[in-house]
Amino acid sequence: MASIRFDHVVKTYDNGVTVIPDLNLEIQDQEFVVLVGPSGCGKSTTLRMIAGLEEVSGGGLYIGEQKVNDLPPKDRNIAMVFQSYALYPHMSVYRNMAFALRLKKLPKGEIDRRVREVAAQLELEPYLKRKPRQLSGGQRQRVALGRAMVRDPQVFLLDEPLSNLDAKLRTEMRAQISTLHKRLSATFVYVTHDQTEAMTMGDRIVVMKDGRIQQVDTPQALYDRPKNRFVAGFIGSPQMNFWQTEVLRGPEGWRLRGAGLEFGMTGWQLEGYEGKNVTLGIRPEDIHAEEVMIKAHPDALVRGKVSLAERMGSEIYAYFASGGQKLIARAPARTGIRGGDEVVMALDLNKLHLFDADTGERIPRQG
Amino acid sequence: MKSRQASKRLKNGLFLVFFSVVSLAYLMPIGIVVINSFKRKAYINKYPFSLPTGRDFVGLENYRAGVEAIGFFEAFGWSLFITVGSVSLILLCTSMCAWYISRVKNRWTRAFYYLCVFSMVVPFQMVMYTLSKTADSLGLGNPLGITVVYLGFGAGLAVFLFAGFMRSVPLEIEEAAMIDGCSPPQTFFLIVLPILKPTMVSVGILETMWIWNDYLLPTLVLDQKKYKTIPMAIQYLKGGYGSIDWGLMMAMLVLAILPVILFYVSCQKYIIKGVAAGAVKG
Repeated sequence: MASIRFDHVVKTYDNGVTVIPDLNLEIQDQEFVVLVGPSGCGKSTTLRMIAGLEEVSGGGLYIGEQKVNDLPPKDRNIAMVFQSYALYPHMSVYRNMAFALRLKKLPKGEIDRRVREVAAQLELEPYLKRKPRQLSGGQRQRVALGRAMVRDPQVFLLDEPLSNLDAKLRTEMRAQISTLHKRLSATFVYVTHDQTEAMTMGDRIVVMKDGRIQQVDTPQALYDRPKNRFVAGFIGSPQMNFWQTEVLRGPEGWRLRGAGLEFGMTGWQLEGYEGKNVTLGIRPEDIHAEEVMIKAHPDALVRGKVSLAERMGSEIYAYFASGGQKLIARAPARTGIRGGDEVVMALDLNKLHLFDADTGERIPRQG
Repeated sequence: MKSRQASKRLKNGLFLVFFSVVSLAYLMPIGIVVINSFKRKAYINKYPFSLPTGRDFVGLENYRAGVEAIGFFEAFGWSLFITVGSVSLILLCTSMCAWYISRVKNRWTRAFYYLCVFSMVVPFQMVMYTLSKTADSLGLGNPLGITVVYLGFGAGLAVFLFAGFMRSVPLEIEEAAMIDGCSPPQTFFLIVLPILKPTMVSVGILETMWIWNDYLLPTLVLDQKKYKTIPMAIQYLKGGYGSIDWGLMMAMLVLAILPVILFYVSCQKYIIKGVAAGAVKG
């Protein structure tokens, strides 16, 4: 059993700074969980506490049923892949991978079998005699993975392992790691600041900020139903558009007014918000340039001059301002939008998100 | 274009001449010692710069007599023992010390580091008398005891160099070793020490050259009736009333500097690396 549980875990450094005030999290056995968040949010510290490289200042950290607060790293049956690979520079690839097994005093034959088996899986056989400095970044990363795999641990910890690779290699390695997880049936805890990695790899994502968990959910749920404004802004690229709107009560129900627009909002729990501001959020792909959408949402049209049009191949990110509000929209490449164009686009009112302007918490829909 | 090339050639030519003269100035004393080591002593004062030929040439007689007179091989043995012992102790202790103070950051380790750096600044002459008395009272006046004294004097430079290099060694490598199952001593000996090898070689070479050639410290500390290093033994060629058998002296000086020259030639690139890293002492 390789579940991981944080029970009111606190992390305070010697200088008195508390980076993690109260962490409660359960990671299931064989789950692939991604810790994501901006720099300094505590995700790496959380990972390092699982590894035993950082002391737990308070609370209980459990791997399986065992409390591991005071257990040294080598006794936790975990393996870690570092951002900088952390390969031993004076050892060959073979010796790097065999090192932990030698320390355990396994028989030579067993060590050789395990190393060669993993080297075959990761296509490292031609490089076994080379030193790390003779390898490319991607090869080094595979060696770091292989060094973890030979130990057959119950938990794999990966600390931004792809951040030093180029974009193409990152895509390949992402797929390889995901495949590895399915094959190994081990628990994976993966730290990244890249939300693309988080969205594509995790069974569940833990979004962190300032040492606190903002939301734990599946990638799609995080994307569709972000719990607060921070999660909504962090997940999704380009970032969700936000602007302040005033809540009005009209004859037919709730209405929102802001950025030169006013439109009806049915199906929202806006009691207590009358006359107050709420933050409206809408994703760039939910602002449409197509004629059919403009006809469907005549109340929710935004107009403006495109200041920048980023061509991404299959789509265009159009940056424009409407009613004093800066917006980003994702439009299909066939629209041919260019910088300087005057555009009219429709907000898909079924895809709006509302957040409390003070707390940032999501305002739920009814039902 | 042509005039620029010509002026570059002229500049290179002038540098060549200048550094050739400087090199000759450095090599000349060694050359004079070597050629006079093969001469009869009566001719050394009269014709110090002439090559040994004919009546003044005595072959290896000065070498044979000198070795016998000063007990050269015994002195060589003690020099070797003290140098190897001291350098080994310095490398082992100071590398571990530098590892600790660069990884454990608190005011005590910071203070200790600055103490080591400060010790490089203190001139030996300031402490040599008290050192001599202290070594005597602690019973360090033997080849084993003097290695401890050399450890004390050599630690400053060595800790400074090792600590500087340790900062460039990523901590993740040691963390990976911890996760793989290394205890702290295993982490040091299996992972850190091999990475420190280039610096160990540089420090080892600098300390070796200093300790091998050192005259003053062994003279002050060692029981001279029982133990003599090569620099000390050579002094015994000075007879009563300041008379010196120059032939024997020259021959023994050649034998004394020969190991250092051979050592330097074989380790030249590491010495230059160490000097370039700011390791010059004295």
